[in-house]
Amino acid sequence: MELGIGRRAFIASTAVAAAGVGLSACSSGGGGVEGSATSGPINIIGYAGIWEEQYRAAVIEPFLAEYPDITVNYASKRSSAEMLSAVQSEGGNRTTDITIMDIAVSNGGNSQGIFSTLSEEDVPNIANVNPDLVNADGFGPVVMLDAVSLLYASAEFSTPPESWEVLWDEQYRGKVNVVAPPSGIGINLTAITADMIGEDFTTSIDQTVTKLQELAPNVQSWAPNPDEYQSVVTGQTVLGVGQNARAQYYVDDSDGALGATVPQEGTVYQINTINLTADAPNPEAAKTFINYALSPEAQTAFAEAMYYAPSIDNAELPEEVAARLVEYGDDGIIPLDQEWLAATRDEWTERWNREIVNN
Amino acid sequence: MTAVKSDDAPRLAPSQPAGPGTHEKRTARRGKLAAGGLLTPALLGLLLGFVLPVLWMIRMAFNEGAGSGVVIETFTLQTILDPLTDSYYWGIIWNTFSMGFTSALLCIIVSYPLALFLTRTVSRWKGILIAIALAPLLSSDVVRTYGWMVILSPDGILNSALLSIGIISTPLQLANSMPGVIIGLVQIFMPYAILAMISGFGRLNTQLEEAASSLGANRMTTFLRITFPLSLPGIFTAFLLIFVLSISTFVTPRLLGGGRVQVLATAIYDQTTELLNWPFAAALAVILLMLFGTVVAFYQALTKKLEGE
Amino acid sequence: MNTPRTKLSLAGLTKSYGSNLPPAVDNLDMEVEDGHLVALLGPSGCGKTTTLRMVAGLLDPTSGRIMVEGQNITNTPVHKRQMGMVFQSYALFPHMNVQENVAFGLQMRKRPKQEQQERVMKALEMVQLDHLAKRSTKALSGGQQQRIALARALVVEPTVLLLDEPLSNLDAKLRETMRTEIRQIQQRTRATTLFVTHDQDEALDMADRIALMNGGLIEQFGSPHEIYERPRTRFVANFIGRANLFEAAIGSESSTGPDGLARYEISVGDHGSFHAVGEPGMAGSVRNVLVRPHRLRVGSAGTGAEGLRGRIESNSYTGDSVSYHVRVGSELFTAERLTDGDTLLSVGDHATISWRAEDALVLPEELQ
Repeated sequence: MELGIGRRAFIASTAVAAAGVGLSACSSGGGGVEGSATSGPINIIGYAGIWEEQYRAAVIEPFLAEYPDITVNYASKRSSAEMLSAVQSEGGNRTTDITIMDIAVSNGGNSQGIFSTLSEEDVPNIANVNPDLVNADGFGPVVMLDAVSLLYASAEFSTPPESWEVLWDEQYRGKVNVVAPPSGIGINLTAITADMIGEDFTTSIDQTVTKLQELAPNVQSWAPNPDEYQSVVTGQTVLGVGQNARAQYYVDDSDGALGATVPQEGTVYQINTINLTADAPNPEAAKTFINYALSPEAQTAFAEAMYYAPSIDNAELPEEVAARLVEYGDDGIIPLDQEWLAATRDEWTERWNREIVNN
Repeated sequence: MTAVKSDDAPRLAPSQPAGPGTHEKRTARRGKLAAGGLLTPALLGLLLGFVLPVLWMIRMAFNEGAGSGVVIETFTLQTILDPLTDSYYWGIIWNTFSMGFTSALLCIIVSYPLALFLTRTVSRWKGILIAIALAPLLSSDVVRTYGWMVILSPDGILNSALLSIGIISTPLQLANSMPGVIIGLVQIFMPYAILAMISGFGRLNTQLEEAASSLGANRMTTFLRITFPLSLPGIFTAFLLIFVLSISTFVTPRLLGGGRVQVLATAIYDQTTELLNWPFAAALAVILLMLFGTVVAFYQALTKKLEGE
Repeated sequence: MNTPRTKLSLAGLTKSYGSNLPPAVDNLDMEVEDGHLVALLGPSGCGKTTTLRMVAGLLDPTSGRIMVEGQNITNTPVHKRQMGMVFQSYALFPHMNVQENVAFGLQMRKRPKQEQQERVMKALEMVQLDHLAKRSTKALSGGQQQRIALARALVVEPTVLLLDEPLSNLDAKLRETMRTEIRQIQQRTRATTLFVTHDQDEALDMADRIALMNGGLIEQFGSPHEIYERPRTRFVANFIGRANLFEAAIGSESSTGPDGLARYEISVGDHGSFHAVGEPGMAGSVRNVLVRPHRLRVGSAGTGAEGLRGRIESNSYTGDSVSYHVRVGSELFTAERLTDGDTLLSVGDHATISWRAEDALVLPEELQ
């Protein structure tokens, strides 16, 4: 694998040299957008930390190798809200071409006209995206899926816990970490808890809030540092709620000290979209990247690296990878309308702050 | 030594200029110009880096936020009135105030003896001792906060020690709570308190204490009647400084509070970076500014009263 | 006058800051009579302030005793010594007004409010500042602060009043006024006083006794007149007033006068000879001889049988007075006289210097 990267880097550098002599923007890369002039820099905003690390290695680097005339500037943000805020603050002087962010936040951006629509003509690979995951109004499609999973210390459990109820177990007093809203984890746990106790969260979460109040004594931190995964790995906590993709990565990274599972009551998706900024400085090259990000090659590579499920139907995942991620259409997914959630998020956050975290 | 004094000094007087000449006036004007010139960069920096942003922030507080970063440009008092008519935000304001007050008070109590010692010591190591007292400033408060997380966590050093000597039977909830945040703030701000007090102890003078004891005051009385009253200006300055630093700090309540410590700074952070409600964040910041202003006004009245004595 | 009575006595008082350092105060003995003002005089570093601080109780002696009215107070803490102290910086409490400052000592003694009030006003009247009772101490001039500090120290009727360079922060003119005032108040209250100063004029003017200190030791203890007229050592002679000091082989001793001083004949080789007085029994030794410049006469060569012959090396004429430097062998003499209309001697002139026998003193200090 190291050898492979080395060779690709070599090809890339010779190609850049060739471009320097005057071959210009005519891309030689296969699978690119036929006939488009795609060159120059593109600016991408995405998540930070290992996500950035893995996405660079699995998607951006191969892309650059294939499209040597394009350069990528990646800026990382800690949350989707920060990404949106960064794009918003650019105002009329756009520098960002692409953002990869949570669907709840990108919906907000779509309605504000911050992002532009994409057609199959612009991005041919949109045709392969699962029809449910394409934006009805033509905005940026889903690029990857993830779900909320239960984190546990493998040493404490011979078999993975089967129910979310384990979080409430009194023997884990002070041994659970939950990231409270506005983080998406806390929002999603609200929906999972409501579903578990049989409350329709679209009308009320009163009982859910009561149930979550009972969780409070078990919670060590509502804002864990450095994060909810590491605190289980280091033994500071026994249980936690996290994103399955990152969790699976840390399962490998910690040699299995961390366990991650989706309990029987089910989970909710955590969905990321890829979005082209309205008035992006380099829209052609950006579309080329979006198309690449939706290619089976990129989708499979990132699934293998970070356990995010592909959003396209034509990606073939190895058996052992597929078993560890929550794919679109899997059983036990609690439906959560993201557009509805975008409007409800603030309200839920308020209730957490006032009634749950405050105790 | 007993030389006869020359008496010719008055004779020199008539040759002296009668008053400030034009030359002196010109020098004075040039001095003012030079001072103005030297102040300009700082004033400009202050205007661009502080005054304008604050004005912009205050203006933002009169807008309306609609979530997801949407700012409705308008002019309404509603955004500021919302938190002020909400008991939850009064709770946050109270948390902010009491956190600032408690950490400033405790910080003064633990720093005072050190500051007093460092002010009065005649040791040749004085400089080094002061440097040691200020050394924690060399590490960032993020690092020091992480240090306190390690010490205060349920299975941290402090709880393990207390458990093993049998003082407690279950770990104390120190990290991820207000007491933990206050412990962290007290330690983190100690160097500032010590510095502020040392510079505020100008009126302290060992001769005053010696005078008191020579007049019959024992050590305790000397401390209560002389040392303590004279160190009050330093104490007040340090208190104000630590209070202001505490209520505006975000790192420690966020990292050591475990989400349980809700103060204006953390609420502003959430509104700014997570909920993207800038007008509301600005409204909270204006409230924080008002809290700050109230305390400064109180401090000024107090110092004036002290100096009037 | 009552019969003299010892108020304060120091015995073997020593302060050492380290075994490898010479002691700051070295085995000091001193007795202070009741009602006397004693000046501890000397150059900086001579141990005078250290001595005062040990008496006050602000510094622990390494060894020795401090007695007040026969009672050993060496181990009595400062706040129980019942002394009054005036500091160089006055040390007025800046957060109290004049009245509160003066009342402080009485408060510490838990005197009734009424009595405090009366005594404070009396003390302020004594220093003529009763009209400033309610004033902040910050609003006072240096002289006023000085007097408040004095009132504050005296109001408690201290056993001993200690003054640490009280005049050094005042300007020259005020210093002279305050000198007189302090002396008057001290004499009126008859407060036994220990007064540290480096200014010989202050000491000569104010003190009943001067303890002239040098290197932690008392060089000489005596009245200002004794110290000036009968210095016992070269250091004292040099420190107080100006001096022509020279070594000479002391010749024969003649009569002893009613003052107990012997008369010596001293010849200085080819330069001539003169007479001097001194304690009996020094004939045949080499000693220092002191002649004050204004008691030295300068005449043209050969005007008298007695005297030393030399040459004018420089002169300085200011109208009222004239001073000469006269070279006699390797010695340079300074003479200072009021002018009398006579012709002045010029540089290079031969001259004879002479004095009355009682104006030249053979110092008893033995030469090493």
